[in-house]
Amino acid sequence: MSPVISLQAVKKAFQHQPVLKGVSFDVLPGQTLAFLGRNAAGKTTTIRMLLGLIPPDSGTITVLGHDPFRQPVEVRRRVGYLAEDQTMFGWMTVAEILRFMAPFYPTWDHALAGEYVRQFELPPATKIRRLSKGQNVRLGLVLALAHRPELVILDDPALGLDPIMRREFNRDLISHLQGGGRTVFYSSHLLYEVEPIADQIAILDEGTIVRHGPTEQVLHEVKRIVVSLAAYGRLDENWTVLDLRRSGDEVALTIDHADAAIAHLAAHALPHRVIDLNLDEVFEAFVGGNKGVSGVARADTCDPVAVSAAVR
Amino acid sequence: MFIRIEKGSTVPISRQIMDQIRALCLAETLKPGDQIPSVRQLARELAVNQNTILRVYERLAGEGMLERRHGDGTYVAPHPPTWRMESQRQKFTEELNQLVSQGTLLGLTRDDLHLLVDDALDHRPTAEQPAAPSSVSGAS
Repeated sequence: MSPVISLQAVKKAFQHQPVLKGVSFDVLPGQTLAFLGRNAAGKTTTIRMLLGLIPPDSGTITVLGHDPFRQPVEVRRRVGYLAEDQTMFGWMTVAEILRFMAPFYPTWDHALAGEYVRQFELPPATKIRRLSKGQNVRLGLVLALAHRPELVILDDPALGLDPIMRREFNRDLISHLQGGGRTVFYSSHLLYEVEPIADQIAILDEGTIVRHGPTEQVLHEVKRIVVSLAAYGRLDENWTVLDLRRSGDEVALTIDHADAAIAHLAAHALPHRVIDLNLDEVFEAFVGGNKGVSGVARADTCDPVAVSAAVR
Repeated sequence: MFIRIEKGSTVPISRQIMDQIRALCLAETLKPGDQIPSVRQLARELAVNQNTILRVYERLAGEGMLERRHGDGTYVAPHPPTWRMESQRQKFTEELNQLVSQGTLLGLTRDDLHLLVDDALDHRPTAEQPAAPSSVSGAS
């Protein structure tokens, strides 16, 4: 199954400021990828390249088998795009903007657009500027879906919605996008909104993908392990330590691929506690982890854990 | 079928759903032969990825708890499978292991822990017979 989206070692800088520093990932057909990152992590730059608005400096991008920058029409015909606060022509009515948009897409399905308008309870004769925030997002979804795109790119569309509307939006995504077998690239800040609907998550930080995998697998593999300071001094494994902090006589390590670490501790009868983490904590460990050892007084010994953390 | 999902929990969503369906079956709120919502329906209702729901149903079907009838939906299996006790035991063992490691961190010795277990056994309110699989309840 060839991927719908494929990025290989993509780099991009603006005014000599690197924004993407070698990003690689694939999204397979029918999958929903949650693309997570802090502000300025490079999410929007990635989306602009997926849509073919800007070229990468190096590396390759393939969307639905095409280079989006060289073949933008090919790609955009088959892609739906929805952003937060999509400004539309406020003076048009709902029915008018549907008629306005249709000619841009050879595959536009008027019947389907009408069907969504009914299902989403959008008033066809109402001017866009009179729609509520929730109605606006739903209209954006109609416009993004009516040409039956194979790939839908969502750029934080739920940001301005209240919790009830977000849930409704998620339900619409599940029924109309996932139900229809579409591939979804969902960029978001709202971790708990995307967690239940994503097959995969990718965490972008400072221009690189720091973690990518099936949502629940990532949650399963990242754990916080608490050991005594004495036990910590006896660790000699080369673990991926995302975060390290000390409290009193204990050291808490947030570790990726923790199964091996836990097995090692058990095999050496080193007392430890394993703490499950939620997506927020996992995300924080990857993008803001305290990887230094300043809080842990072990400067006098060689510190392989800290070294492996610093090398990461 | 009422299922509640806690957002931001450390318990993965598939596990939350799976545990609750199991609990509903153990409590016989869902009875053998009852039809449960389709993957699509439950996914939409809970606003959860369809693949997640599908994985849960397949896993529970694999355990013999649910029965997926091709083209006809998903039902609670007609006969209580023997895994029920095993799964409960496994859960209990996991919890006990955690308790023991917490106790160890508190400085309790092997003998201390044995004594505590003996105490707990001695102070049980009533000496019940081990419950038969079909009468396991209160899991909710």
